[in-house]
Amino acid sequence: MIKLLNAGFTRLRKNKLFWLLTILSIGVALFMIYNGYSDMNKYGRTIEVEKLMLNYSTMVGVVIAIFTSLFLGVEYSDGAMRNKISIGHKRTNIYLSNLIIVTITSLFSYILFLGTVSTIGIPLFGNTTIRFSTLIKLLGCIFAAIIAYASIFTFISMLISNKTISSIVNIMLAFGMIIYSLTFLNFLSMPEYVPEYIMENGQTITKEVKNPYYLTGLKRDVIQLSVDINPAGQMGQIVGGMASNLKLFPIYSLGIIVVFTGAGLVLFKKKELK
Amino acid sequence: MEIILETDNLEKKYKDFKALNHANIHIEKGAIYGLIGKNGAGKTTLIRIICGLQEPTNGRFTIYGVDNNSNNITDVRKRMGAIIETPSIYGEMTAKDNLIEQYKLVGVPSLDGIDDLLKLVGLSNTGKKKAKNFSLGMKQRLGIAIALANNPDFLILDEPINGLDPQGIIEIRELILKLNKEKRITILISSHYLDELSKIATHYGFLDNGSIIKEISSEELMKKMERKLILKVTNEIAFVKYFEEHKISYEVIDDSTIYVYGKYNLSKFINELSKKNLIADEVHEQKESLENYYMNLIGGGSND
Repeated sequence: MIKLLNAGFTRLRKNKLFWLLTILSIGVALFMIYNGYSDMNKYGRTIEVEKLMLNYSTMVGVVIAIFTSLFLGVEYSDGAMRNKISIGHKRTNIYLSNLIIVTITSLFSYILFLGTVSTIGIPLFGNTTIRFSTLIKLLGCIFAAIIAYASIFTFISMLISNKTISSIVNIMLAFGMIIYSLTFLNFLSMPEYVPEYIMENGQTITKEVKNPYYLTGLKRDVIQLSVDINPAGQMGQIVGGMASNLKLFPIYSLGIIVVFTGAGLVLFKKKELK
Repeated sequence: MEIILETDNLEKKYKDFKALNHANIHIEKGAIYGLIGKNGAGKTTLIRIICGLQEPTNGRFTIYGVDNNSNNITDVRKRMGAIIETPSIYGEMTAKDNLIEQYKLVGVPSLDGIDDLLKLVGLSNTGKKKAKNFSLGMKQRLGIAIALANNPDFLILDEPINGLDPQGIIEIRELILKLNKEKRITILISSHYLDELSKIATHYGFLDNGSIIKEISSEELMKKMERKLILKVTNEIAFVKYFEEHKISYEVIDDSTIYVYGKYNLSKFINELSKKNLIADEVHEQKESLENYYMNLIGGGSND
């Protein structure tokens, strides 16, 4: 395992994609700071630096999907997977080492973003407006969701030998998870009652009526759970400040990691390689 | 003689298709074992199974005496190097970086041997050129260098000369012979280029429709391909007695057929025999090529 990790990180350091990811993480941070600074100067808005710190989480899934597909896809397309097995590395170790490399790289990307935002953002916009312990809890949930993302995309990249197909599946899935969570978070955040305006005797009367789109009962619970489990849904709720089940998020992420990694290990062990 | 690789009725099924059908091969230490078979005969499937990329449907194999079902099978694979179909090379890296990567993978602590390895395969002067821009021959040689990084004593090369130009073929051939002679590496090499294999192999395994139909050493094969006289006789014992007395190389094929190996003047030979009252019903002269031998073995099917 140590040899696999050593070789993996050596390749990572020489990998263009990794350096692009590094530049992207810093670039996104600088872009967000610039936008915040412009808004502050033009419109006198108060910029809460913690919101900047959390914002990258909404798109990090797509970034991890692209990185994982291309970095691990090369393992198949360049024959490295065959090589690792034929020189006596255990399949379990190959899978886990790849998962560790993808996870560490994904976390590194977010930490680099955070570092850039903190270093430049705090002097510009002032300190965080929420308690430090709350920020740590939110970031902890984001980090757990990042690992969950890494386990899902590693699962797909390790089981689909074709780099193009695994890239398409991963990227579509990443966008699908974001679109799903945004759609249903929109439904979940709808009010139960909405005002209805009626004309009576020439006067407009406002009446509170039941919102027909408001989700209730089991349907609401199931959709809430599906959004809570979905890493994109967790990120969306954290950024939107509407995470009611925050304490459960790391547990759901852990569940995803265990299920996908467990299934990935079993299936990769049985996978017939060419 | 120590057996490095032995398969026992190895079978591989893909749905209804049998890619391997009770395949049995035996590779001795120090051999260059040429695995010959037409496309689709099962060569690559056999190699994939040996290298752990696929599991056999039935049967078993041992590498250095370790059974494929043993937990130690991955440990003995650490003594192997392999190129399966295409060399395992990161195209975006240089030759040296590819070897550094492989050294880390196999756990070689010092990178000192890399330059020697590059020199051995003739890639010392590739500098910063990325492997994806190498010629096919250079890629094959880099693949061999990568396979040698763990200092293996068993090297598996699947179709290493496919697509190479004549110069590339000669380079790979010389490299294989050098590795076998100087580093004492046992080599399994699959190919459907009979002529090329005949220049390096010490042993042959003929694979057809997933089965090894013949295993033979190069000495035995050369003997079979020697010029020979085919005698159809009725009194076989008298002929054998004569050949023994005169130290003539022969082989009794069946009750009525004897092969006599060596270069003989046909009329003089028949004359000598008749002086001893040894009259053959028929005498034919034959010289077999490796190609003929192969075609006869697989029953005249086309070799693509």
